[in-house]
Amino acid sequence: MEPVIDVVNLSKAFGPKVVLANVTFAVQEGESLAVMGGSGSGKTVLLRTIMGLLAPDSGHVSIEGKIIQELDRQELFEVRKKIGMCFQMAALFDSMSVAENIGFALKRHTPMTEAEIAGRVDECLTLVGLKDCQKLRPAELSGGMKRRVGFARAIALKPQILLFDEPTTGLDPVMTDVISRVILDLKHQLGVTTVTITHDLKSAFEIADRIALLFRGEIIACQPPEEFKANPDPVIQQFLRGDAEGPFLTDPAPPKRSTKSSASPLLVP
Amino acid sequence: MPTNLLDRLGQRVLQSLTQAGDFAVISSRAFAAAFKRPFDTPNLMHQFQAVGVNSIPVIVLTSVAISMVFAVQLSFGFRQFQAEGLASQVQGLAIVRELAPVITGLMMAGRVGSAMAAELGTMQVTEQIDALECLATDPIHFLFVPRLLASMVMLPLLTGISIYVGFWGGYALLVGVVGQSSVVYSTEFYKLLAFRDVGIALTKALVFGIIIALVGCWRGYRTQGGAEGVGNAPTSSVVTSSLWILVSDFFLTKLLLV
Repeated sequence: MEPVIDVVNLSKAFGPKVVLANVTFAVQEGESLAVMGGSGSGKTVLLRTIMGLLAPDSGHVSIEGKIIQELDRQELFEVRKKIGMCFQMAALFDSMSVAENIGFALKRHTPMTEAEIAGRVDECLTLVGLKDCQKLRPAELSGGMKRRVGFARAIALKPQILLFDEPTTGLDPVMTDVISRVILDLKHQLGVTTVTITHDLKSAFEIADRIALLFRGEIIACQPPEEFKANPDPVIQQFLRGDAEGPFLTDPAPPKRSTKSSASPLLVP
Repeated sequence: MPTNLLDRLGQRVLQSLTQAGDFAVISSRAFAAAFKRPFDTPNLMHQFQAVGVNSIPVIVLTSVAISMVFAVQLSFGFRQFQAEGLASQVQGLAIVRELAPVITGLMMAGRVGSAMAAELGTMQVTEQIDALECLATDPIHFLFVPRLLASMVMLPLLTGISIYVGFWGGYALLVGVVGQSSVVYSTEFYKLLAFRDVGIALTKALVFGIIIALVGCWRGYRTQGGAEGVGNAPTSSVVTSSLWILVSDFFLTKLLLV
């Protein structure tokens, strides 16, 4: 079966800094892939290249058999209608209300009436667990609400693929769990293929069918969560432990102080 | 040392050519996109309001001030030759042909062009322009076209207002202060003018509108580097469009007066 997303030998560098080096993986229909990696490891660049926002130096990305880099702008827009992209900071249009944000693509790309659009907006907001906030402006929303409105906007056109760029970064643990549940709900209710870029181990293990780890521009593992957890690779194990000591960092980690010695003498027990 | 200097000079030239090429490509895409569906009427109306209606007070105040100052200078100058009567004729000629379109253009570059650069710059650094791309919407079509059309329509209209206000500014000074007859002022104001001169003023305003919208949007669209980039975009937009307004004014004047 042809994969829905096929990333082949993708390389991208910014000046002398190589961000992606021969990245290759495929995502099957209905599958959920979590891509993990350290900060600045190129996860967002990977997602933006899949979406066609960045051009790779070599290699290509194909969506449902169409090579993104070979499409003209109109063909690219047709492919993008099948993909919902959820940005790290939601990227909501701040001059529009929540309802206008979610209904934006419906208004431009479908012949739906205002009433039908309003209905679909309500439906999308219900799916992400938000109601009665159609008239609010993005500035009036909390971080978690913004992300969920971003999800609602991404699913409005009923895409077959959803891309999430660090959906839980900067949120408290409870909201992180809420977001993970929303992603799982969307996956099960809409049957979409998802690629989620995340740092959050708990969230990744909850939502992913396979987990990939991006390390120094390369995918060093791409396997189901249980196998990923058992992978003996020292980089993966260090990442799972969240330990500063090990091969993960390029620069040596700062020395670890004991809790007692680091305690401030001014603190009275 | 000379090699270094040549290297730097070459880099600057290449950079300028790249920027000019980028501006030309984006501008042609904006003109081409103006004829593409969907036509975003509410967005266009909003831009008419932002570019045109909201600028009326600024244009009125500036035009009154400039026309009165100019009338003072003309009155003083022509008095040296006992030719005060010529002041209103030259006032009419200068306001219609030069002052109204150029002052309107420069004021709008500061008021509207900078706002466009700041708005699009903020959208760029907060990924809103990427979000437009991901929602299968051409940012040039959605962001540039309404601003370009609004500027092309509103700059000539504002120039018309500026001419009208300039007439009354000169009137207030030359009739109210210097003591010319109001009938003489009103007839002399138009004496050196022809309909062609109004056409020249409106053509200049149209070109200035295109410059302001394209430069403002382009600077905003190409913003990089977070808050600093957003801060630089309006400044750079105002400087670039003001320069282009002055340069194009010279060539338009030469071209249209032939």
